[in-house]
Amino acid sequence: MASETSKALLPAGLADDLPPDADIEAEVIGALMATFRAHGYERVKPPLIEFEESLLGGPGAALAQQTFRVMDPQSQRMLGVRADMTVQVARIAATRLRQRARPLRLSYSGQVLRTRGSQLRPERQFSQAGFELIGSASLEADVEAILLAAEALRGARTTHLSIDLTLPHLVGVLAADRGIVGPRLDQLRDALDRKDAAALALVAKDDPDRAFGRLLEAAGPVDDALAAIKAIALPKEVSDIVDAASALVALARPHLGDLLLTLDPTEYRGFEYHTGISFSVFARGVRGELGRGGRYVLENGEPATGFSVYLDSLRRALPARVGGGLVFVRASAGFDRCQQLHAEGWRTVRGFDDAADAKAEAARLGCTHYFLDGSVHALDDAGRKQSGKR
Amino acid sequence: MTTGDKIIFALPKGRVLDDGVAMLAQVGIAPEAAFFDKDSRQLRFTTNRADVDLIRVRSFDVATFVAFGAAHAGIAGSDVLLEFEYAELYAPLDLGIGVCRLVVAEPESVKATDDPLRWSHVRVATKYPNLTRRHFAARGVQAECIKLHGAMELAPALGLCRRIVDLVETGSTLRANGLVEVETIAEVSSRLVVNRVALKTRPVEIGALVDSFTEVVRGQAA
Repeated sequence: MASETSKALLPAGLADDLPPDADIEAEVIGALMATFRAHGYERVKPPLIEFEESLLGGPGAALAQQTFRVMDPQSQRMLGVRADMTVQVARIAATRLRQRARPLRLSYSGQVLRTRGSQLRPERQFSQAGFELIGSASLEADVEAILLAAEALRGARTTHLSIDLTLPHLVGVLAADRGIVGPRLDQLRDALDRKDAAALALVAKDDPDRAFGRLLEAAGPVDDALAAIKAIALPKEVSDIVDAASALVALARPHLGDLLLTLDPTEYRGFEYHTGISFSVFARGVRGELGRGGRYVLENGEPATGFSVYLDSLRRALPARVGGGLVFVRASAGFDRCQQLHAEGWRTVRGFDDAADAKAEAARLGCTHYFLDGSVHALDDAGRKQSGKR
Repeated sequence: MTTGDKIIFALPKGRVLDDGVAMLAQVGIAPEAAFFDKDSRQLRFTTNRADVDLIRVRSFDVATFVAFGAAHAGIAGSDVLLEFEYAELYAPLDLGIGVCRLVVAEPESVKATDDPLRWSHVRVATKYPNLTRRHFAARGVQAECIKLHGAMELAPALGLCRRIVDLVETGSTLRANGLVEVETIAEVSSRLVVNRVALKTRPVEIGALVDSFTEVVRGQAA
C-alpha cells in the first residue's frame, strides 16, 4: 500500500488529468483551434524545448524566472523548456516565415511548463492555445484580435464573459509628458496596478489636474470610462491613444452581443511588453483571467497583435459537460452496429458477456443508454444512481 | 436573487472590527443581529441589503478570501497587503482606520552597542516573514524569520531572537517589555480591498460600493 501511495504522489503543481477532464480539455482546444482556422489562421508547432537565448530574448526575458533549464548533452548549450509559446511563434514569423506575405496569421496550441506556481495559480504545467496576427498596424487588426478571441471562447461554451480593454502604453507617454521617469515611474505604475489611490496621491502629488487619479477612477464600463478620460486635459499623444480606443470600440461592439466590455486605461502588470491596445478576458466568478492579448512589436520591428488562452483558467469557466449519450452494446450485436450508432452521434461501450443483463451492465459501466432488441433505450435515473458511479 | 449573485464583504476580526462596522453603517450596510451576538457561532451574516452578505475572518485571511474571489471586497490592513502582494487584489481606498506602524524593535541593551551597517544576517520574530525578508534584503541583509502568531514582544527577552518586526500603535507594549523601535518599515492603515475579477466582471455594482466608501471617507476628511 505504502509503495502505491508514493507512486501516486506527483510534484507540486503537476496533475494527472482523468476522465472526463482530459476529454473536455481536448474538446475545448479543438473548438478554439477550429475557430482560429476558420478565420484563416494556420497552425504552427514549435518544439517543447529550445536554446535558452532564443526563448528568453526580447519579450521572453520576462519569463526567465519561470523557465526550466537543462544542459543539452549534445550541443553542450543551455536549453529552456517553454513557459509560454508566444515567443516561439514570434520567432517563427521573424525567421523561417519572414518571406511569407503579410499580414501573417498563425495559431498554436501546446503544453507549457513553469518553475513556480503561485497560491492563486498552483498549476506548473498547463495547455496554452492562441493566435498571432503579424505584420499589420491597422486598427482592424486590433478589432480582429478581440472579436476572434470572443468568438473562440464562446465556441468553447464559456458564459458570462467580459473583455477588459487596457492601454498599457498610455501611462508611460503621459508620465514622460509630466516629467515622471526612473524609479518614480515604477512607483507610479505600481500604485496604478494596485489601484492604490493613497499611494498614487503620494507619487503624483505635484500633478496639477490630478490626471493619474482621474485615469484610475475612470476604469469601468467602456462608455463611462471613455467619457471620463476625455474629460481630462491630456497631451495630444495621449488623446490619440484614447481616440484609437474609441474607434476600436465603435468597430468591435456591434459584433460582441451581450458580452460586457470594460476599459481600464492604467493596467500595466502582465502587459509590460505590449505597445498598444491590449485586453484581458474574464468570466464572472472565475479566478484570474481566461486569456489575454494585444499589440506588441517583434524583435525585427514588425507590428503584431495576438491572443493567448490558458486552459487551467479556462477549464474553471466551463459548465459541467452535459453527458453525451454513451450506449452499452452487447458484442454479439456486431462491431458494425456500433459504427452505425456512431454515425447517429452515439458513443458505444461493448459488453463481452451475452448472458449478463444489458441494463445492469450499462449501469455498472457508467452508460446512459443500452442497446437491446434493435433499438436504444435510455437508462432511467434510478438505474444510474444504483450503480453509484459515473 | 441567487447566492452566487450576492456581494460577499469580508470584515477583519480584532482591533479594526468596530471601526469597520461603523464605516459600513455609514455606507448603508447594517448586519443582522447575530453579528453582534458574542455567543453566536455563525460566520456568515446577512445584512439589510439583499445583495450583500458579510463574513468575519482573521485580518490576514481577509486578503486571502478576497484574492481568491471567495469574497468580493473587504477591509484589510496595508500590512497584510504588503505581506502577501496578491496580484488579484485592488486596494482603491485608504479608509483612515486602524492606523499604526510596522517597526523593527530590539532590547535597549542591544541598541546601545549595535551597528546596523555591519549586519549581514539578522534573526527576527514576526508575523510578516515575506515583508521582513524583503525589507532587509533591500539593504543587503539576509533575514532569518521566525514566524509567530502573537506575543512577539516576549521573544527577545526569552532569547528566541534579538529583534522583532511588529505592529505598534502607541508603543506601550514595546516599552513594557524593554524594547525600543529602531526603524519604521511602513505606516499602516486599513484599506478597502476589491477582487480584480469581481471589479472587471461586475463593474457597476462593485464600482458603486467603492464610490460609496469614497464618499464616506471624503466626508470624514472634510
